[in-house]
Amino acid sequence: MNFELNMSLSDLLLLLPEIVLTVWLCLVLIADFAFPRLPKEQLAYFSIAGLVATLGCLTWLDISNITGTLFANMYVLDRMALFFKMFIVGASILVILASIEYVQKFAFFRGEYYFLIVMSALGMMFMASANDLLSLFVTLEFSTFGFYVLVAYLRDDVASNEAGLKFFILGVFAAGLLAYGISLVYGETGKLVFSDMTSAQPTPGLIIGFLLIFAALGFKIGAVPFHSWIPDTYHGSPTPVTAFLSIAPKGAAFAILLRMFFVALASFKPMWVVLLAATSVLSMTYANIVAIAQKNIKRLLAYSGIAQIGNVLIGLAAGTKMSNDAILFYLLTYLFANIGAFAVIIAVSHAIGSEEIDDYSGLNRRSPFLAFSMLLFLLSLAGVPPLAGFIGKLYIFVAAIKEGLYTLITVGLINIVISMYYYLIVVKKMYIAEPNDPTPITISTPLKVVVYISLAGTLLIGIYPQPFIDWVVSATMMFSHIGAPASTMIPPASPFGG
Amino acid sequence: MGDYALLYILFAPFVGALALIFVSNRQAMLVRGIAAGSAFVSLIASIYLFYAYDPVRGGFQFVQKFEWSRQLGISLYLGVDGIGTPLVLASSILLFAGIFVSWHVKDRMKEFYIWILILAAATIGVFMSLDLFFLYFFYEMSVIPMYLLLGMWGSHTKKYLEMTDAEGLKQRDSVGFIFNFGSNSKEYAAMKLVLFLSAFAVAALMGILLIYKYSGLNTFDILVLREQAHLMNIPVLGTTLDKIIWVLIFFGFASIAPLWPLHSWSPVGHAAAPAATSMLHAGVLMKLGHFSIIRVAFEILPETTHEMMPMAAVLCMFSIIYGGFVAFYAKDTKYVIGYSSSSHMGYVFLGMAALDYISLSGAVIYMFAHAMATGMLFAMAGWVYDQTHTRDIPSLGGLSNKMPFISGCFVVGCMASIGMPGTVNFIAEVMIIVGSWNKYPFQVVVAVLGIVLTLAYLFKMMRGLFYGPMDQKYSHSHDAVSAVDRLPLLIMISVSVGFGLFPMHLYNVVRSGVDPLIARITHVVPVASAPAIDSPSPSVQEQLAARGVQLQPERMTE
Repeated sequence: MNFELNMSLSDLLLLLPEIVLTVWLCLVLIADFAFPRLPKEQLAYFSIAGLVATLGCLTWLDISNITGTLFANMYVLDRMALFFKMFIVGASILVILASIEYVQKFAFFRGEYYFLIVMSALGMMFMASANDLLSLFVTLEFSTFGFYVLVAYLRDDVASNEAGLKFFILGVFAAGLLAYGISLVYGETGKLVFSDMTSAQPTPGLIIGFLLIFAALGFKIGAVPFHSWIPDTYHGSPTPVTAFLSIAPKGAAFAILLRMFFVALASFKPMWVVLLAATSVLSMTYANIVAIAQKNIKRLLAYSGIAQIGNVLIGLAAGTKMSNDAILFYLLTYLFANIGAFAVIIAVSHAIGSEEIDDYSGLNRRSPFLAFSMLLFLLSLAGVPPLAGFIGKLYIFVAAIKEGLYTLITVGLINIVISMYYYLIVVKKMYIAEPNDPTPITISTPLKVVVYISLAGTLLIGIYPQPFIDWVVSATMMFSHIGAPASTMIPPASPFGG
Repeated sequence: MGDYALLYILFAPFVGALALIFVSNRQAMLVRGIAAGSAFVSLIASIYLFYAYDPVRGGFQFVQKFEWSRQLGISLYLGVDGIGTPLVLASSILLFAGIFVSWHVKDRMKEFYIWILILAAATIGVFMSLDLFFLYFFYEMSVIPMYLLLGMWGSHTKKYLEMTDAEGLKQRDSVGFIFNFGSNSKEYAAMKLVLFLSAFAVAALMGILLIYKYSGLNTFDILVLREQAHLMNIPVLGTTLDKIIWVLIFFGFASIAPLWPLHSWSPVGHAAAPAATSMLHAGVLMKLGHFSIIRVAFEILPETTHEMMPMAAVLCMFSIIYGGFVAFYAKDTKYVIGYSSSSHMGYVFLGMAALDYISLSGAVIYMFAHAMATGMLFAMAGWVYDQTHTRDIPSLGGLSNKMPFISGCFVVGCMASIGMPGTVNFIAEVMIIVGSWNKYPFQVVVAVLGIVLTLAYLFKMMRGLFYGPMDQKYSHSHDAVSAVDRLPLLIMISVSVGFGLFPMHLYNVVRSGVDPLIARITHVVPVASAPAIDSPSPSVQEQLAARGVQLQPERMTE
């Protein structure tokens, strides 16, 4: 292969957000070292300023509709990449805001914490643009790198160390699978760029190669059966890191999954539908049933996250332009509900020092605001109208029923009911049980801001989703050629009526 | 107000709930004032709606349409016909009465009113939705407030607190309490209610999604779907698609109605709920089931309805008799009223099953009438419970000396519930019985037996509560003396008796909604019976002619 590096200034424009963030990242590190007396809180706001600037660049690129590819198609900037980059940067801003109070718990390396968060965000931004197998591998490792450190940040906490170790070992294992899968695919096709593989034949080597890549990405999104690290890692990590880990890498991984399945593997659709359907059913059913028995709120949300991914996989299995929109929309609703829920957990555990569900007893009496917010976030995750999660689920189901995935939808609907049970157990503790200790819980301002933003997102998307739907629809324009309806389960005389 | 009446009715409670968030719980009068004020706006607007609705013109009136999502084909499409109008009125009357019934709630009063307002607004939203998506949206939205209302302000059943499981643990603390069917706690009742209703609601959602897919119209608009969706004769899994959809929709919504054997969540929920919630629950929430079946199954799948409805006629007998017998033997006031409600909902199903002009109108009027009657009974059971802190009938008695007003109203409530002439329930019952006699004489006999049963258990409860010797420990209990306490009962009694004496407008409104529906389903012309509707309205004929339907004269039923 012949790589030519002819870059002009206008090409660099495509990298503008990443360049801004990279420079800022260095500034954050320099500021941390150069001014040791600087309160770490200000470093947090400084990082946020950089992320906001990046978000501004992304918005500008989105509005002026600048798209293109770089480095011989390795790097692509299209509207979907922009969507996921905004998603990741937005999540990072919320996570940093939610961390400010929490970081004071760390004995050392408070400044590096913000550096690592922003660095992971940068890695994931590259990941959203990865357009071939090499950049997939590099960006995936780049983004995971920061997390290996972040997960084990509570040095004196055994659970955090265990979480770090588990995440590291399984993460490295997944990276090995990924590299092996890439080598198989390259060996079979001689191609690396996704869009060049469309004419590949389904040879056994290629299929095994893609299965290995899917396993590695399945590890990132935490789909059953690649989920085993999730509960322990979520449980042991510092809570803001858990919040970050539960949303941003999933967004980045879905950017790659969408490109891989919709571009590289578009012609193999009948094969991967079965694979995705099986993964989806397993994720939803297993996670929802196991979540019922959880006593720790972070583990509960970990399993709930696995189940949510199962829902998103329904959309991926449908494999149309509309289901693609639905996936993006669903992730958006999940972002607000999930980060909001973790923000409440941070606030509560800061006050009572516990993450057990039993200790949420009587939260409504101690802090009506936190209890009400948590109620809305959990109900949004459960998919109750008028909250965002309901529209997200319905969007996925509508996209899937157009493809005739009746079994998947039935399983998804049944799982809504199962999930309602364990979300309502938390609600029962918060609202119905009486508190053991009735002292009111106070909440710091940055956390409050996070909860307010998440509440606004959850309610706004639920009540007036049209602008968000328009956004995701325009973000996936390049997939508009996909999606001839292929109903398989019920062979009707004529599916579209008389 | 005029054209925007529906928006006032629907959004006044939401706005009230939103305003309450910013009020402190300490300002009790302000909290009550906002709740009562928003309920009052809703009430006035729905009274206007009821009298401004033009039964001669018929069809859907006061229509409001706002596009909500282009890609999904959803719009906030509101409108009422003759079936929705009385139910909207009943909901707002019960909401207004419920605010006053719960005037003395002390614990977290603000939150209580917020959830009551959201519950009632969501219910009202179902009654005016012309879009399948929003019908489901509001339907599901009404379930979660029930959970919190039951859990936070509800009460356990007798002896609950002393119950322990085999290991000596309190049952309410065990993880798997949902599987513990002997449990009497309010948490159990709340969880059972939500899971039961959600489980069946997702079945209905599956039906809605199937309609959406197979109509191929990319819309959830009920009016478009009923004209253009062709769902018949698509073979699926050894049967036809329309039957599968119909079964999903019917049983999905019948669970909230509650049709036997899907009723078991309902009396438990009634018993655990605070008075105002029981009122809304029995008064209007249960009617969401019948209404949604009429709106979705009857409108979109008329032929299938004609074919499948005899099934409901069989099940409704069990509802009537089973509910009646359990109510007769129950010892808890709210269980008696709860089972009586689920028994009475059997009459509505009978009226619906007969698919006759008179009987379906009777069923709709019965929904309205039952809302008032059962609302009264629950309000008074709640009052008695507040005074005596027990709902155990054998331990009560002789309260009529202490509360003459309540016991007087209770007699009226029982009369209304039984269907005495002079109350609107009488009209409804007679219409159901007369209308379904031709088709289901056996069921009618069962229904009449059910009325006798109603008489037996209500009089038994009345005697147990208000007459006979009184235990001295209840000597401190007092009557409803203040205007605030008497107002809700007087409103419901006057509505019940008022429409019992002057039912013509109600009847005309209901007939204007029922006529086109039954004409579509049975292809029979309605008998000229109402002054306002001397012949099938032009819209009915046009509609049917457009579908190539031959009209035949109806058999005389009277």
